[in-house]
Amino acid sequence: MNEKKSYPMYFVFGALILYVVLSVIPGVIGVGYSFTDWSSYSDKINFVGLKNFATIFSPDENYLRYLGNTMVFTVLTTICKSVIGLALAVLLTKKIKGLNFHRAIMYMPAVLSTLIVAMIFKNILNPQSGLLNEFLRSVGLGSLALKWLTDSKIAFWSVMAVDIWKGIGYIMTIFIAGIMSISPVYYEAAEIDGASSWQRFKSITLPLLMPTVAVTTVLNVLYGLKVFDIVYALTNGGPGYSTEVLYTGVYKEFSKGRYAVGTTLSTVMFIFMIIVGFFMIRIMTKEEVEE
Amino acid sequence: MKRFLLVVLAAVMLTSSVACAKTTTTTTKTPATDATTVKTSGTAAATTGKTKQDITITYMVSQDWVQDAEIALGAKFTEETGIKVDYQVIPADQYVNLLNTKLNAGECADIFGSQGGQFDIVSQLNVVKNAVDLSGESWSSTVDPLAAAELSVDGKLYGQPLGDLSSVWAVAYNTKIFAANNIQIPKTFDEFMAVCKTIKATGITPIYECVSDGWHQVLWFPEIGPAYDAAESGLVSNLNSNKTKFADSAIMKKSLDQIKEMVDNGYWGEDYMANAYADGAKNFASGKYAMFVANQGFGAEVEAIGGDLKASDVGYFVIPLVDNQILNVNPVGPSRFIYSGSKNIDAAKQYLAYIARPENLQYLIDNVPKYNTLPYSGIKDKYSDIIKEFYARYPVHGTVLQSAVKYVTPQWAEIGKEMSAMILGDETSADVLKNTDKNRADQAAAAKDPAWNS
Repeated sequence: MNEKKSYPMYFVFGALILYVVLSVIPGVIGVGYSFTDWSSYSDKINFVGLKNFATIFSPDENYLRYLGNTMVFTVLTTICKSVIGLALAVLLTKKIKGLNFHRAIMYMPAVLSTLIVAMIFKNILNPQSGLLNEFLRSVGLGSLALKWLTDSKIAFWSVMAVDIWKGIGYIMTIFIAGIMSISPVYYEAAEIDGASSWQRFKSITLPLLMPTVAVTTVLNVLYGLKVFDIVYALTNGGPGYSTEVLYTGVYKEFSKGRYAVGTTLSTVMFIFMIIVGFFMIRIMTKEEVEE
Repeated sequence: MKRFLLVVLAAVMLTSSVACAKTTTTTTKTPATDATTVKTSGTAAATTGKTKQDITITYMVSQDWVQDAEIALGAKFTEETGIKVDYQVIPADQYVNLLNTKLNAGECADIFGSQGGQFDIVSQLNVVKNAVDLSGESWSSTVDPLAAAELSVDGKLYGQPLGDLSSVWAVAYNTKIFAANNIQIPKTFDEFMAVCKTIKATGITPIYECVSDGWHQVLWFPEIGPAYDAAESGLVSNLNSNKTKFADSAIMKKSLDQIKEMVDNGYWGEDYMANAYADGAKNFASGKYAMFVANQGFGAEVEAIGGDLKASDVGYFVIPLVDNQILNVNPVGPSRFIYSGSKNIDAAKQYLAYIARPENLQYLIDNVPKYNTLPYSGIKDKYSDIIKEFYARYPVHGTVLQSAVKYVTPQWAEIGKEMSAMILGDETSADVLKNTDKNRADQAAAAKDPAWNS
C-alpha cells in the first residue's frame, strides 16, 4: 500500500469519537443496566446479577414467545419479500408497456407511512364490515371471510402479510437495480446457445444477483428483528399476546417503569443481532473474495 | 449522575442499533400521529379587559375521557383568556402505555388525564413528583370529599375529577326486548344465562362486548369485587397485605369461568373481538343487541343516536356473575392532573379553574348525555326515574375491586390481554389469576411495598 495515497489515521477520529460516545458507551451502559433493578419506582439502583435474564428466559413468562414471534416474523417476511420482490423485479425489467407506471405502483406502499397503512388495513380486515370480507361474501366465498386481526391463530399471519405487502416494493427496486447492472451480453450469448428463460434466470440472473440478494437479506433481517410499528399499529400485540414481538415488549416494560427488564430484552436482541450480523458479514465477505 | 446516565441511555435508544432505536422514536411519534388532535380556535377576542396570553397548553387524554362539551368550553376559555388548548386525544388501548412512557421519560403534556385512586396515584403516577399540588385552587374545596380522598396524598389534592363518579358499571338492557319476551331482571348467574339463551333464540345478540379497546371486557371481572369479598370474608384486606393471592380465590376463578361460559355460548355474538366501545350506543340503539355493560348515562347516549329507543327504555341491573347482587360503587375515576414539568402551570391551572366553575360544570352535565352529575358541590343532577329505581333496587353497596385492592388498576390493560387470551382459549382462568398476581408482585416489589418485600 502506498502510504502517501491513504488518508492519515486521525481523519477517522471525528467519526470514531461520535460513534463511541453516541453508540458504544451508551450501549455498554445499557448492557450494564441489564444487571440491575433499575425502575421508575425507586431512585436506588441495585446490582441483581442475572435475575433479569432469568426472568426473560423463564418458561413462566411470555418473553420467549415474543422472541419466537420475532424470529418467525423475520424469517418469513425475509423469504417472502425476497422471493416475491425478485419475481416482480424480473417481470419489471422486461420490455412491457407502462413499465415505469407499474414500477411506481409496486413501489408506492413503501413510501406510505406505516401508521396509515395499518389504519387502512385495520378497516380492510375488519371481520364485520371490512372490504376483504365484504368482497369474499359478495362472491360467495363467505366461508373464507375470517377474523383476520382478531383471531389469535390468524392475526400474526395477517400482520406479516401486511408487512410483506408494504415491503415488497422497496426490495423489488433494489433487485431491479441489480438486474439492470447485469451485462446484456450474457443473455445474448445464452440466447444464441438456445437457453430457455428459466435457464437464463437460473444460470445468469440469479448467480450475478447474489451480492444484491445478500444486501436485501441483511436489510430484511435487521428490519424484521427490530419490527415494532406495524405490529403496534395493527394489533398492539393482541389479541391476547399472540402478536407481541420483542420491541413491543420493550415498549411495554418501559411504560410500566421496569427499565431494567426493558434494557435486558434489548441486550438479548443486541447479542442475537451481533451473532446474525457476524455470520452474514462472513458469508458476504466470502462471496466477494471468491469473485 | 443518574440523570446523565438516563440521557446517555436515551441517546443509545435513539441512535444505536444496540438498543431500541427505532422503538423509542416510533413510540413517541406513533400515538401522536394516530391521535385525534383538536385545537380550540383562539381567534375570537373577547373584550374582558384583561391582557390576553399567547399560550397553548396541551392536554393529553384517552379518547373516551374528553367530551365535545368540554372542547366547546375550551373554546370559550380561549376567548376569555387567549390561552389555546391543544387536546391530544389518544386511542384508549394505547393510552396507559403512552402516558406512563411520557411520565417516565420526563416529557408529558401540560395536563394529562389518568385514573385516580389513593394507591395508584402514588405507585403508578408518582404524583408527588409528577403532578402539581392543587390544594390551594379555588375549586378544590368543592370536590366531593370521597373523590378528593382518592386524588390526595398526605392531605394534598393532586387531581381534578373529570367525569360522573355516581354512575356504576352495570348491565344496561333494552326494556322493550325484555318486555316482549317476558324476561325478568336476573338475580343469579343461572337466571342471567337463561335470559341470554331466550334472547339469542329470537335472533338478537344478547350482549354487546368490545374487546378491541382493550379495557371494556375487564369490567365484568373487578367491578363485582364486593361479591368476592362477601363470598370470601377478608379477601380484600388479605390481598392488600399480600396474605392471599388472586390465584387462591375460588370465587374469582369462578367469575372468570362464567365469563368464558358466556362467550362460549355465543352470548357475546361473533364480532366481539373487533367491536369498539365508541359504537356501543349505536349498536344498542339498532336493536341488534339487548345488553351492554355501561354506566347510567348510557340511556341518554342511546336516545341521542336518534332511533326508536328513548333513555327511559334502557334499564340497568348489576353484573350478576357469581350471583352478585351488591351495587358496585367507585369513588375513583378519570381525572385531570397538571404535569409538574410543565412550563405552563399557571395557564393549566386557569383551565382547570375555568372548567370547575359551577356554571361550566352544569353545562357539562346538561350537554354530555352520559353524565347525570359531577362530583362537585353546588350543581344539579339529572337522574331519571329508571336510574333512581335501579339504585334503590340494590340497598347493599360495596367498593369495586380496582379501588379497594392495590395494584389492580395499573394492570387493567394487562388483565384485558389476559382475559382476551382466556376467551380465545390460549390461557385458562387460573393463568389469568396467576399472571395478575405476578404483575401485582412485580409492581409491589418495584415500589418496595413492605407487604411484598418483607
